[in-house]
Amino acid sequence: MLDAASTSRGLALGARDQGAGLGHSDLLLRGAFNEHLSAEAILGFHSADRKLAHHLENAWVQTRSLPQGLEVRAGRFASQIGYLNELHPHTDDFTERPLLYRGFLGGHWYDDGLRMNWTAPTPFYLRLGAEVFGGKKLVPPASAASGQRISTLNLKIGNDLGRHSSWQWGLSALHNPRTAQLAEHHEEADGQAHGDAHGHSARFTGQSMHISDLVWKWAPQGNNRNQQVRVSWEYAQVSRIHPQLDPALKHAASSLGAVWRFHPSWEVGVRADRARLHLAQLHEGEVEAQQGRLKENAVMLAYKPSHKQTLRLQLTRQVAPHGASEETVFAHPARRSLQLQYVLSFGAHGAHAF
Amino acid sequence: MVRTLFKRLLSTAILLAQGHAWALTVFACEPEWASLSRALLPGVKVHSATSHLQDPHHIEARPSLIAQMRSADLAVCTGAELEAGWLPMLQAKAGNAKIQNGQPGMFYAADHVSLVNPFKGVVTPFSGDVHVLGNPHVHTDPKRLLTVARALALRMAALAPLEKTRIEQQLKQFEEAMAQRIPSWEQQARPLKGRSIITQHANFAYLWLWLGLTPMADLEPKPGVPPTPAHLSRTLALSQSNPPMALVIAQHHDPRPAKWLSGQLGAPHKLVVLPATVTDEQPDALFRWYDLMVQRLLQVAS
Repeated sequence: MLDAASTSRGLALGARDQGAGLGHSDLLLRGAFNEHLSAEAILGFHSADRKLAHHLENAWVQTRSLPQGLEVRAGRFASQIGYLNELHPHTDDFTERPLLYRGFLGGHWYDDGLRMNWTAPTPFYLRLGAEVFGGKKLVPPASAASGQRISTLNLKIGNDLGRHSSWQWGLSALHNPRTAQLAEHHEEADGQAHGDAHGHSARFTGQSMHISDLVWKWAPQGNNRNQQVRVSWEYAQVSRIHPQLDPALKHAASSLGAVWRFHPSWEVGVRADRARLHLAQLHEGEVEAQQGRLKENAVMLAYKPSHKQTLRLQLTRQVAPHGASEETVFAHPARRSLQLQYVLSFGAHGAHAF
Repeated sequence: MVRTLFKRLLSTAILLAQGHAWALTVFACEPEWASLSRALLPGVKVHSATSHLQDPHHIEARPSLIAQMRSADLAVCTGAELEAGWLPMLQAKAGNAKIQNGQPGMFYAADHVSLVNPFKGVVTPFSGDVHVLGNPHVHTDPKRLLTVARALALRMAALAPLEKTRIEQQLKQFEEAMAQRIPSWEQQARPLKGRSIITQHANFAYLWLWLGLTPMADLEPKPGVPPTPAHLSRTLALSQSNPPMALVIAQHHDPRPAKWLSGQLGAPHKLVVLPATVTDEQPDALFRWYDLMVQRLLQVAS
């Protein structure tokens, strides 16, 4: 999987540098060991500050033969919270993940852990899942106190609405006892929000996070090859940002996107993201919070001559309402950023989730 | 009074019990396999994942399909990578041990017949959606379908031993019906022999082979790649010098390229839009489908 992009201006909280760069590219190995276990390994690459970085993104085994709809997965894998997180970024409809992923989950949160899922024997889809992760990938070990595990709970329900459309709703909760290391206010505070854009760790964390996600897809007669509309909405709230801050302070972000495939090889899409965040910093030994708001609107046009190739042109606008206290959180939003992205997949075509 | 009530309750209970005592719950990836499963075991509970109006290469692993896969005892699919974009995801998410690859509950039709046109050469990202194992659309050949029916009957009988005798009887009936009809279809389709057609994707490749039709051009520049203007004008030039009997596309295809081409040829009546598979899941749907194919092609041939 190759993902190359050229960006006219790097986005606040973005994962792509200005200029040409390699996005989330990967090498994937997938297979079944035997009738009881299947496995997958993904070695990911991306360019960061003009250097090529690589990381082991996935390396897990999953059961195939447990009774009663149970499945267990162990190893390194992407958490199933939210809608997009467990999906591979190369299938995304936009060049950057929504703000809530970039701000709260480091774009795409995968970690070392254990998952247990139960799919109910119901006429509609119902899945309950629980995960426990080491947590280093979300909140790097910093203060002596951290080292605890991050756990998640996830519910997914979905079904068809007649022959033409289907929906899925998800509700996730994440418990994170790890405390992120705070930056000193006197340093270039903007660095928190703008530099170090490629670390996979989250930049706005808290002890608990809730995500609700809803996806609705429509295609005439369910024949999504020729025409399809996909609408997705996600809302995330992070509470108890820091033990020394007011527990009522919360981060919140939402994303609403719609994509229309109007021809077998053409898609057009719009997305609106909103985020209200509090940047926790150390100021003369005290923990302080600065509020920041960021709006991001994107439109994209994608050409998919076959499902192994995507050429995408995206225009993104960011607005950070100014205020004395907000200036330093998002001092450099990308007022206009034009991105050209090319995704190419090699080898056998893998199966994609809903 | 009490006795009547009791009788009624009893009969309701029996009905309910029967309703739940399916010998097998079948998940059919395509409607032809739903119809065939019903022909082999009438009254079997079948979910068909797709219809004739959907392109079976491009189905999404929707929540409803995961739920159906969760409760299936047997999944009947085409295989040969036709469902590579969605079936593995359903298997991974359903949490159902019975329908995993290698289990008797996972049946692939293409494993039981020989396939035509395997892609030879190096597969690159620009080869299109090639099938290295060969063309997977085997149901369009009634002889291959019979071979699949025999293999599926064996599999169903192994999974539902109590129904073995009934399945064997049903298979015998199905074989007899086909043995009667195949020569009659072949007889009727004689005028089609040697005629040339333009197609879109190799959905009907086995049907052409069976009826002796020659596909002279494909509207897709590469398998699975939608028609491009450049490729369409090449096909137009070719068909102007060598007019085809018909342009045949499937109902799930975007009809615009074929409409344009038949219009350019001044022969809009030569455009035939056919369902790529059965249009319902009744046990006799396959017979009716072969009938329809032969009749529609004969109409345009004359």
